[in-house]
Amino acid sequence: MERPKKPVPAVTPWGMPFWEGTRQGKLMIQRCSDCNKYIFYPRLVCPHCFSDNVGWVQASGRGTVYSYTVVQSNAPSSFLDDIPYVVAVIRLEEGVQMLSNIVGCDPSELRCDMPVEVTFEKLTDEFTLPKFRPAKP
Amino acid sequence: MAIVGIGEVPTGRFPDKPAIYHAVESARMAIRDAGIDKDEIDFVMPTAAMFSFSYIGELTTARLVEELGLKNCKKNCLIFSGGSSSSTGLQMAGAMIASGVARAVLFSHSEKLGTAITGQEGIDLFSVSGISPEWEVPFGQHYSTVAALATTRYKYETGCTDEHIAAVCVSNRKWAELNPNAFFRKPLTIEEVLSSKMLSTPLRAKMSNMLFDGGSAFILTSAERARDLPNKPVYVLGEGGIVTHHVYSQEPDLTRFGWAKAAKEAFEEAGITPKDIDVAEIYDSYPIYQLIAFEEIGLCRRGEGGEMFLRGDTWPGGKIPCTTDGGMLSKGHIGAGGGVSLLVEAARQLMGKAGERQVPNARFAVETATGGTYMDAQVTVLGTEIP
Repeated sequence: MERPKKPVPAVTPWGMPFWEGTRQGKLMIQRCSDCNKYIFYPRLVCPHCFSDNVGWVQASGRGTVYSYTVVQSNAPSSFLDDIPYVVAVIRLEEGVQMLSNIVGCDPSELRCDMPVEVTFEKLTDEFTLPKFRPAKP
Repeated sequence: MAIVGIGEVPTGRFPDKPAIYHAVESARMAIRDAGIDKDEIDFVMPTAAMFSFSYIGELTTARLVEELGLKNCKKNCLIFSGGSSSSTGLQMAGAMIASGVARAVLFSHSEKLGTAITGQEGIDLFSVSGISPEWEVPFGQHYSTVAALATTRYKYETGCTDEHIAAVCVSNRKWAELNPNAFFRKPLTIEEVLSSKMLSTPLRAKMSNMLFDGGSAFILTSAERARDLPNKPVYVLGEGGIVTHHVYSQEPDLTRFGWAKAAKEAFEEAGITPKDIDVAEIYDSYPIYQLIAFEEIGLCRRGEGGEMFLRGDTWPGGKIPCTTDGGMLSKGHIGAGGGVSLLVEAARQLMGKAGERQVPNARFAVETATGGTYMDAQVTVLGTEIP
């Protein structure tokens, strides 16, 4: 059966630098120029100090797995061919969290708090998704 | 203010019944149960259904008012916060009664998720509804993974086992066996839960809710008016709430959420403590959320809930009966109505009208609800007396 195409990110205009970054192999996150705190996902206004003076920095790409799950059945239609796949919440070194997939890892090796690093997977010409793999020692 | 009337239609699959049937029937039951004239209702507050945007449009434009023939309804206004619509609606209705804007509010829920869409359509709906189209949908997030992510981390931090998670499902089933409005009423064992199909590790099929049709309703009025009505009034004693996130992966603590803060507010306002609670109507949808909320609102210490569900403390006859209508896991998931039927069940228990599953001498109940991807924690304390 032909599956529906993978959903592409529904981009908010101020999130564009993030997606331009992933296309170039960079993980870009916001940092507030007033309170210096890191921000993810991209906001119009700093959620910490309410400033609109927010800029962009390149994240290290390193983090840990806060939690994970291996999808084995009942996935959304466009992901049925990917089963089994891993959905995880990643805590970046900068202290922000993001949802992603873990790739290049035997599911039985997955652990909470394991160190991971970013890798990039092209979805379409326009979009590249940041994914994570076990960090090299 | 007090809940003075409740109504509910069975949860199930009714292809021949349109959603408005469930709305009209449950609302009519609630009005009759309250012992008031229908034309005393001056505010109708439907909550949204999820199966159809056009039906939401009908509810928004007062179809229920017209179907019920309400002659003195001043306002019809949809109140919707997903699964927490019950608590949100109750608080909104209560504020309007307290301020004199309304005298008798009809809150109504109706849903047709069980027969209006197919199983895969349901999975697809819940892989976009309330899930960020920019930050989560592209990674294959859906409601199974949402529940599984909390379960994985909670097990890691507390040492909770799969048996403990399965025990929540078994506990809810014990109650559903006694509930004629529940869909799943056959006994369920830990082994059956743990041998059911793996969806997203460690979440299995029988740890997951299924979508159905159904509806329920309640009537809220002032404590003063309630004294003249036939039912034992169910007073709203305390309410607390906190919104913690929109995008699930932004939640800083997937093993706690905002329950402790919401519960502290609700119990303080009520002037009682969790020890005074006779019956706990804890929002489930998935067992992990019921377990976390049960612990975080203070019914036991963190990490000890699983054993309580396993040894029967939460079962019929147990010391802290929990989710006594069977919850979304066993009664069935009817969208926002999962929370509404729990609130209706809390009122039913306190009115002493819960039949075979009546908790003896229930004076105080706590009800919890949460919407979206567990975006908020809403806690309500109800009682048959004002302490």
